[in-house]
Amino acid sequence: MAHLSRIWTLACATFTQLLRMRIMAFLAVFCVIVVAAGLGFAIINPEQQLKLLKDVAFGALQVFSVVMGICATALLLPRDLEDRTLYTVLAKPVPRLNYLLGKLLGVLMTIAVGMLVLDLALSLMLYLRQNLVFAQAVAALKAEGQDSPQAVAQLQAMVAQQGLGWNLQAGVLVIFLKSSVITAMTLMISCMASSTLFTMVIGFLATLCGHGQELIRETFLSGQGVALRQVWKTLLAVITPDLTLFDVTDAVINGQSLGMPALLGIAGMSLLYVLGYAMASHLLFVEKEL
Amino acid sequence: MDTPAAKPNSRFTAATPGRAMLLALAVLLGVGGLSQPLGQALRQQLQQQALLNPPVDMGLRGNLGQMGFAAALGGLRSLVASVTYLQAYRAWELVAWARVDSLMALTCTLQPKHANYWDEAAWHMAYNAASHYLYNESIEPWVRGRLSEQYKAQGVAILKTGLSHLPQNAKLWHTLAEIYQNRTHEPKLAAQAWLKVRDLTGQARYARFAAYQLAQSQEASDWKTAYAMLRQAYAKADQRTPSLIENLRQLEQRLNIPYPQRIPEAAPTLEKDPAEFGPIR
Repeated sequence: MAHLSRIWTLACATFTQLLRMRIMAFLAVFCVIVVAAGLGFAIINPEQQLKLLKDVAFGALQVFSVVMGICATALLLPRDLEDRTLYTVLAKPVPRLNYLLGKLLGVLMTIAVGMLVLDLALSLMLYLRQNLVFAQAVAALKAEGQDSPQAVAQLQAMVAQQGLGWNLQAGVLVIFLKSSVITAMTLMISCMASSTLFTMVIGFLATLCGHGQELIRETFLSGQGVALRQVWKTLLAVITPDLTLFDVTDAVINGQSLGMPALLGIAGMSLLYVLGYAMASHLLFVEKEL
Repeated sequence: MDTPAAKPNSRFTAATPGRAMLLALAVLLGVGGLSQPLGQALRQQLQQQALLNPPVDMGLRGNLGQMGFAAALGGLRSLVASVTYLQAYRAWELVAWARVDSLMALTCTLQPKHANYWDEAAWHMAYNAASHYLYNESIEPWVRGRLSEQYKAQGVAILKTGLSHLPQNAKLWHTLAEIYQNRTHEPKLAAQAWLKVRDLTGQARYARFAAYQLAQSQEASDWKTAYAMLRQAYAKADQRTPSLIENLRQLEQRLNIPYPQRIPEAAPTLEKDPAEFGPIR
């Protein structure tokens, strides 16, 4: 219980520390982008307008969560070392594991709050836009005398598929799960690295490789023998997490339903990676001379 | 700084230097080894539910540009596709058909499960581009015709590629049927596509559309098929449209159907003189 209490205290302190860094300031920029996407591009067809809004919003969510996950995490340990806060905390005594878990949880809380704000902005814009689009489309049908109940029902179904729904929230959750993997991986890199810049660069490279794992496997390993291919695939899995498993947002944007089994599978993979990286972080940090 | 907190945990120093590092590596190997079969099973599950996109084609690399490729690789394929779609829209406004074609091809490749992109790409080629070249008097007439036919064929090819990704999409089959019917004038292929739409949507009127196309074929066997389909539709009062009656009367004459078996309705007369209709495009 004492451990949990310490972890929670450190998490709250980390959350406050990150808010004070005004990292969330550029959240406002993303919100403006989402709103602009919702109001602009009136010339394209209604279905495409809704899709574009979702594309921009989900893109903003992904960029925000990845940038926050890498940059905020990379700053934590060096900042605490520089401020001498780290020695004070560990001298309490706070086990190094508690310290790391508190930091990880604090960053994840910050990302969650930021994503919640963006999600609210997206949901509001999408709700307003879909109602406007539906009203305009029905008015256009009426003007042409084509507003039969079947046509209106078809229009309603299209708007429902492309508009606001619980499925979108599942997509936001998947993005959060991906960012938690990236955050844990960056924390592990930070425990090995000696500078913030190094952590950020390696973090971004690893994230890019994680997204390109399937491409790397298809392009570079297809001509290899079975045994050699398996070795390379394991090494690749060691170096980077397979982030392509989290790329279901395209399907969500297209209106497809993300069922509970798929969501649980993705959550399970995320948990595996986060626990693995957290354990590796602890082992690296425990030996680190501060 | 030599505080107790600054010193590493005593279990891992002195006797076993680097042991923690090796353990960390072992943990990562374990995670890597475990994530592979689990990841593969999850990937198969997601692919079965069509929730994952196929990997980005390396051939796209030159078309996307560095930032676009990195963005697509960073899980932003949908956003990049929306951007290229807007670029294609702009190219359409500027009547730059080659650019429209390449940008829409890129968009469709990034988002192969989005039927609207395939539909719109085919529309641009088979209708807009084909008509633009057909009526462009600055081009030699024989070149105009060839270009028009090429773009119509391009529209068909785009839809066929789209249907390879979305074989059960009624909208794409509908668009294909319309192109075969109105643009390339291939009644047998149009009929097959209309029947596919009927099978996917369950709406009987598409069977009539297929029959109308078969009635325009040159083969008597197709006429018989069309006649049987239209007689089936005629049995339902809500399907007795003027087009159905017109086509049935024509087929009865072509097939020499005995008079007692013919439908009682007379062939519908046109309210408008055919000379008043505009050119067929």
